[in-house]
Order: sequence, then structure tokens, then C-alpha cells
Amino acid sequence: MDKEELLQQVRNLAAENLISKEELTRAYDEAFGKKIDLAITKKPGITKILYYIGGAIVFLGIAILIWQNWSTLSVATKIIATLGSGIAAYIVGVLFGRYEKLDPVGQAFYLISALVTPIGLYVVFDNAGFDVGSHGTQSLISGILFGTYLLSFVVFRKNIFTIFSIIFGTWLFFAFTSFLIGGKPHFDELNFFEYRALTTGLVYILLGYSFSKNEKHPLTGPLYGFGILGFLGAALALGGWEPNQNIFWELIYPGLVLGVIFLSVYLKSKAFLTFGSIYLMVYILKITAEYFTDSLGWPLALALAGLALIAIGYFSFYLNRKYLSSKNTKNI
Amino acid sequence: MDVKKNIPLILGLSIPIIMILFVAGSIYLPGLFIQPKFNFLYATGENYYYNRHYSVQNGRLIKNEFDYPEDYTGSRTEPRLYIHDIVKNENQEISFSEAQKLTLNSNSQSPDGFEIDCGRRTQGIFFIFVDFSRDCSTRFIKGHNTSKKLNIQLSGSSYGHFQFLGWIIE
Repeated sequence: MDKEELLQQVRNLAAENLISKEELTRAYDEAFGKKIDLAITKKPGITKILYYIGGAIVFLGIAILIWQNWSTLSVATKIIATLGSGIAAYIVGVLFGRYEKLDPVGQAFYLISALVTPIGLYVVFDNAGFDVGSHGTQSLISGILFGTYLLSFVVFRKNIFTIFSIIFGTWLFFAFTSFLIGGKPHFDELNFFEYRALTTGLVYILLGYSFSKNEKHPLTGPLYGFGILGFLGAALALGGWEPNQNIFWELIYPGLVLGVIFLSVYLKSKAFLTFGSIYLMVYILKITAEYFTDSLGWPLALALAGLALIAIGYFSFYLNRKYLSSKNTKNI
Repeated sequence: MDVKKNIPLILGLSIPIIMILFVAGSIYLPGLFIQPKFNFLYATGENYYYNRHYSVQNGRLIKNEFDYPEDYTGSRTEPRLYIHDIVKNENQEISFSEAQKLTLNSNSQSPDGFEIDCGRRTQGIFFIFVDFSRDCSTRFIKGHNTSKKLNIQLSGSSYGHFQFLGWIIE
């Protein structure tokens, strides 16, 4: 069979929905020895969802056990029940991960580990006399977790560690920057918080775009969703409210939102379209309430805003139908 | 790694690091070049009416005539006076008679453009912050885009009884 015959065969199989793009890509990657993490690459079925729910319930059980018996448990028992459980769950995850059939169960144990270990570290630092509410201690805890899961990803190449690395990396970013500021009054931390949320949103979008072209593509949708939520939300908050508004952010905001809506077509992202449309509606309501209620009167301003919302709704529906709802297009 | 192909990934990982460096630079660099020069006088004490006892008139410290409310049952000890050495970040207690000899500028802003302010408190976990408020149990000297934590003798409630009286001119 020559190359053209093979490609024709692929076309025929694809036309009959007997082979998917993912299966082809996986087969291509396997030729170069790339190990594919099936547990995250595949869409989770009901069994896997139950594994994760089970993991979350185990975490709840441990958290409630510690909370209810905080005053009666000894320090050693508290540490063993939390940090010990977290480490044990991680080891079980590693052992199960060695067998392909047990890998999804292993992922549930990794989830337990990621949820319980932070509590364990809190208990350790609390008993060591640290102020666990301070940003310094939070930086240490999030740094330890970020380092652990990043190293785990490098060693085991499992996408679940990418998720944990992103979550704990975000925590480290917020905690460490707050630690650097250290309550200094010349720094407007609320404003700075908004800038950090904007940055985090942008980073999530960039990571999502980067992952869209490799085996981590199932992470792209959630990263786009959380990214655009943070980015546009922060940009809206930076605009402020009259009389303390920031004209730069209020003027630039429509451009950002429209940019996001048009990017939704390029990136084939429903998250961009949905959040872009919602934030454009919120912006119109905000600007109407802020500037036009006195000049036009509240009822007329409200009627105009309502018409604008209808127009955005239709525009969003039109874009979705024309560019994102095609049967042959895989949307994220 | 193919750099050109991974530009979004490199950008995504670089932005937080650049922001951390930028924040660290903007916090610590101005403080290296601009230092406050003026020491100041302040009062502190357990007394709830700690800020009614002293004031500054025509550049001199005076003791005010002050009657406690009839129903007041708290401490009636006089607030103590301290000079804060801005260079050493240390306090030296002085008597009222010694403090009276000082020439004071009672403006909140010092002649070199600094002022005393409460710290800021942020509480939260992950990126969920629930509290952005003033924390007057810590005091800072701020100005010229920099601020420095002061080791102040604070007494009284958790808010810290602190009455700034004036910058010491001589």
C-alpha cells in the first residue's frame, strides 16, 4: 500500500466516522515514541467521574475528621491523618499508574493527594509555630506543592500533574506577590489584585493555546474558560466606577471584548464567544448606569441597553451558528 | 524544544516571572535611593484617650487640660513619649520636659515628603482574597513611591494607640 492509498483509506474511514482525528494523531505520535496520557486525553466517562467524586469524598472525610477532633488529636495523629494520607495516596497513585487498566483509579488517588496534602502541610506549619494565614507561609506551602507536582509531571508525564501544577502555581503567584508587598501602604493592593487576575487570565489563555496543538488539548477548553473569565473580569474591574473610574480601562474595554469575540472564531472557542458576549452585555449595563441615567433618564437608558443586549445576543448566536457549530469543526 | 513553535508557552510561563521581578523591583529599588531624614515624636499608651493629652502649638509640645468622662473606668496613666530615630529604626523614650525643648513640624507630611501611615492587611487563600483593609497594628513611613516598616512602640488595643506629634526639625 503506497502513501496515497493509505491517505485515501483514512479519508474513507473518516467519512464513515470509523476513525477520529485523535486516534490518528495518537497513532502518529506513537511512531515517535511519545507516551500518551490516555486518562486525560480521552473524555471522562461515568466510571472515571465516579472515581474522581470518590476521591473528593475521601478528602471531605479526612478534612471533617480533623476539624471535628482538632482539640483531642495529638500532633502526630493530625500529621499522619493529613500529610501521611496525602503521601500515601500519591504512592498508591504511582503504583496504580504503572498498569494501564488501573491508571484511571491512580488518577483518583492523585486527586486525593492534591486535596489532602495542602491540609497536611498547613497542620505541619501550624504546629511548627508558623502563622499559616500569612502570605509568607502560604508561599512556602504553595511552593512545595508546585515544585512537587511540576517534578511529578517531568518524571511521570501525566497531564493530571499539569492541572495541579497550574493550580498550585497560581496560588504561589498570588501568595508570593502579596508576601513581597508585605502590607506596604504605598501599594494599592486591591488594584494590584486586579492586575494579577488580568495576568493570570492571560497566562491561562496562552497555556490553553499552547496545549491546543499537542496531547494536552483537553485542557485547552477549561483554560480558555477560566482565562477569559479572569482576564475580562479584571479588565472590567480596573475600569472602576464614577467618580473613581479609570478612563484608560473604560475606553479600551470594548476593544478587548470585541477582540475576544472575534478571536473566538479564529480559536474556535465557545468559551471566548460566551464570556465575550456576557462581558459586553455587563459593560453596556455598567456604562449605561454610570453615565446615561442622568442625561437620558433611567427608563430610556434601560430600554436602549436592552436593545443593545438583544443585538449582542443575536450577534453571538449568528457567530456561533456560522463559525462554531459546524459538524466538522471541533470546538473547545 | 522548538522555540518558535512554543512561543505561547514561553510567554505564558514568562509573564508571571516578569511580573514578580517587576513588583520586587518597584518595591525595593526606590527605597535604595530615597531615604527619609527626619526623626519624629509620638505618644502611645494604654489609656483610651491617649490622643487627647498632648498637642503641638507653634512648633512646641504642650500638655492639654483634659477631663475624663465620668463613666470612664479604663487606664488613666499618661501616654508615654518617644522619639523615633528614622535611620536606625529605633525608639527612645523621653520625658515631657525634654520633649518640650524640641522644635516640631506637626504637618502629616515631613519636609522631605514622607508621612506615617497604617499598614495594609489582605487575607485570603489561593486567589480568593476576602479582606483589603488598613492594619494599624503596623506603621510605615511612606513617600516617593516607597515605604518602610517602622518599629514603633505600640500600646493599647490591637489597633495600636499611636499619636503622631511632629517631625523633629531641631
